[in-house]
Amino acid sequence: MYGKKGSELVKELASSEPGQLSAFNNDLFAQVIDECTGHLHHLGSLIRKIEELKKIEEIKKLNNQELEESEKQLLKAHNSGALIHHLSLLRNKRCLMAYVYNRAETIRSLGWAVERVLPEEIEEKLSGSEKEYFKNHAASLQSYMSELDLDLAVDMVPPKDPYIKVRVLEDIGNVLLSDQSANLARHAILFLRRTDAEQYISQAIFTLMLW
Amino acid sequence: METGAQDGSSGYSTMDDYESLISTTDAELLKRAWQNEKAAPQILRFEAALIQRSREQIKLMEETVGEFTRNGIDPLTVSLYQMDLDRTVFLLRSYLRTRLQKIEKYVFHIQKTAELWNRLSRQEKRFAERCIEDMEKHLDQSVLSKLPSSYKSHLKQSSSSEEDDMVPEPRLDTYVICRSKRFLGAFQLDDRQFPVNIEADDLYALPYKSIKPLVETGQIDLV
Repeated sequence: MYGKKGSELVKELASSEPGQLSAFNNDLFAQVIDECTGHLHHLGSLIRKIEELKKIEEIKKLNNQELEESEKQLLKAHNSGALIHHLSLLRNKRCLMAYVYNRAETIRSLGWAVERVLPEEIEEKLSGSEKEYFKNHAASLQSYMSELDLDLAVDMVPPKDPYIKVRVLEDIGNVLLSDQSANLARHAILFLRRTDAEQYISQAIFTLMLW
Repeated sequence: METGAQDGSSGYSTMDDYESLISTTDAELLKRAWQNEKAAPQILRFEAALIQRSREQIKLMEETVGEFTRNGIDPLTVSLYQMDLDRTVFLLRSYLRTRLQKIEKYVFHIQKTAELWNRLSRQEKRFAERCIEDMEKHLDQSVLSKLPSSYKSHLKQSSSSEEDDMVPEPRLDTYVICRSKRFLGAFQLDDRQFPVNIEADDLYALPYKSIKPLVETGQIDLV
């Protein structure tokens, strides 16, 4: 059935949890594209047949004749056939685009959450073009922020207290923060300025402690 | 701007004076701009002057806090200033962020609608242009380059479509919660028979589409 694979692609998208990415479905994707090429092939040959019939019709008109009943039927059949292939192609295109576009949206939202580097387990789910898109988009964001001289990737939740308690997960050593220098040793519990700590939290070097 | 102070509430004039004073400070204006931007499905006009002022204020506050710390002023006072500063910075960041996210999402729609495009700041326009470039490239590489030539557009479904029929647009008929600071009188909604009386300080849930002009002229706030 035409368009079935395309809809499977979209279903895969719809059944995954929002904000989560599954691996890019290369196989199915390529199959749908193949289907599109097939449609084009059929479409082309049908259009040629239609044109031939139309030519015959014109010649017959000159001789004051009409197409024979069987030829009329054939013309109708070819017309609807071409329409079906055209519409299937459109539908497949919409499915493909929806797949890529919606994934791109998720990828963008990741860009806000993890800054410039994607964790490996996510990166391996992306297609080549998607990786490139993520990189380009992150660079666009970055250039906007540097133009404004304001980091928009921090401060994702409204601030309650200027200081927060964090636990260090990795050995980093001495780091100069805005109001003090801190020794980031593993398992150390620190009481830091929220703005300082946030970048480390997003890199999973700190974990936020609730008291 | 508080013309509502005259009608029927003259007994509370000192209160109103105070409120109108508060409601015109930049902090309050920034909060309103942020709230509106957060709640509106569409991108609103960039508050260029307000953002400029807020950024200058933030810089000033940062200097003050720095000075206080150096001069050994009571830590509690300093941390109160710091908190105020943090909140302002958060509002500013969140405001800009919300706008960027809308641009990301509806970039093709914004690009082809002059009215929306003109609402962006200079930097946002540049960002939008780059977004478009990135997205077009990505779509082209993944899908469009593999399709037949008359199906290659990212705006139209095929070359036989007369207008752009593949551009995601914000849904303007979603309901938003809004509040007016003053009495706006009977207001005719598009698709309803009876006009709605918009009273001061009452909350209404109305379709965004019908109150759009009121939001854009600042007569009504989204919550």
